Amino acid sequence: MTEIDLKKELQTDESEKLLPLVLEIIPGHAAEGLIDIYEPGSYAAKSLKKLCDKTLNKKNLSIEEQLIVEDIKRQLDGGKLLSRGQEIEGTALEYAVSEETEAGEKYLFVPIRAIKPQEGGRRHWIDD
Amino acid sequence: MKPLFDSGLELVVESDFIYFPLLFDPDIEKEIQTVFHSGENTGQSNEPESKTVIKLEEKYFIKGFRLDALVKNYDVIDPYSYQTMKNECFRRYQLMREVDGMIVDGTLRTILFQVMPHFIKKNKGLKRKKLSDEEILDLVGQKIDIPESYFQEAKTFTDIAPLKEILKNIGNQTGTLELPENGLTSGRKLQDWFRSAVHAKVLADEVERITKSLQVRQQFSRIKPEHIATLLYIADAGALEIDGFGFIRKNADRKEYHVYKHSGDYVLKDYYGRNYLFPDCRVAVSTYMPSKPFVMEKYKHPFLLEYKSGQEICLKHFNPTDEMTTQRIIDTLEEGLTALRYGYDHRRRNGYHSLDKLWVHIPTIDFDDYLI
Repeated sequence: MTEIDLKKELQTDESEKLLPLVLEIIPGHAAEGLIDIYEPGSYAAKSLKKLCDKTLNKKNLSIEEQLIVEDIKRQLDGGKLLSRGQEIEGTALEYAVSEETEAGEKYLFVPIRAIKPQEGGRRHWIDD
Repeated sequence: MKPLFDSGLELVVESDFIYFPLLFDPDIEKEIQTVFHSGENTGQSNEPESKTVIKLEEKYFIKGFRLDALVKNYDVIDPYSYQTMKNECFRRYQLMREVDGMIVDGTLRTILFQVMPHFIKKNKGLKRKKLSDEEILDLVGQKIDIPESYFQEAKTFTDIAPLKEILKNIGNQTGTLELPENGLTSGRKLQDWFRSAVHAKVLADEVERITKSLQVRQQFSRIKPEHIATLLYIADAGALEIDGFGFIRKNADRKEYHVYKHSGDYVLKDYYGRNYLFPDCRVAVSTYMPSKPFVMEKYKHPFLLEYKSGQEICLKHFNPTDEMTTQRIIDTLEEGLTALRYGYDHRRRNGYHSLDKLWVHIPTIDFDDYLI
């Protein structure tokens, strides 16, 4: 899939802007992350980065959620937030996909991974 | 021993020894008469073992071997037959597999209850909650199809009465075998005694294992049978895969597992911005000697030196240790996955190989077939 195709797929129509936004920030390659919900109208004007910061600074987290935040912060120590394989920039709508709950309620979903870089490998013919 | 027991011969048991019938032959008869009249047979000693020939119901029997020595050394005398009898004994008491050891294998429990929850979906909806061991077993039970036979085995596993009985019997015997009564006996009767004696020896040799099994089974007696069935299945199979996370037992004796996570398909860019679609692979770490992560399949990537299976992923700033901890396994898998999926910098062309062909004469791996 090319970058243009990816952007087309992720574009949402106007009606979807009225849906709630579910943000999940996942530490590394874990299966589950910290979830936050933004009501329609509360996220459209904000950058995705700002929404992530707000989610990560949330208070009244459960112990399990606090552990996830710690894990995310460990990854972000020199790491970055990625969504759909790219570093996040712009608004949440650019990365959101429409999903449905078991009860049939629609929402927009943005999965984000906090990834600590690992520049594996080396050019042995140059480094040696 | 089987031909002897099946022969239908009359045998005599006398003072721990087995006596065989003497052939009727005039020369032998003469020799025996001499022995009996001279008193050589009974010797100077009154010990019954000194009788070489005995007469019973007008028939002569010659001394063979000690029965308890036969039982004691049967594993060396006839290893194949001994193993067959040993297996028969294990089957009888549900001790066939080393499942007790595996079910409490610390490495397996670490993988199952501490590493796996990091990599699999545990919660439905928005709540994030740490699962208990029981809830993890429920989740595994929902995600994999456990054969019905394991539910049956779980019932046997929790029935500790037979093991208690074995230990009680071993304790009562205090290491000595009850030998058959003196006198004439048949091969069939002797065979039955011999089988019981070998079984008793097998169980006595395994007393430590049986005691441990009993402790394990007592410990598991409060666990739900379906959870025991799940544990028995995992211990038996030595492998499990859920949500792209899995493990495979490589060596039961040294409790070595390869713990892995699927990378999924991913795209990397080359220097000119062209995309290459890399196929899924399993990034793994060994629990026996946790070192760098490696790719299980035959695979090529800028961070792998060759195009073959089992290659370590070349990582920067990675300090391998021999310590096997939950965090160590998780971190190693994470670093390996991150390196493969996000580590290649198309501008710097880091790694052993470049995705785009470099105009220098260096043999390298070709990635053109991944171009999309």
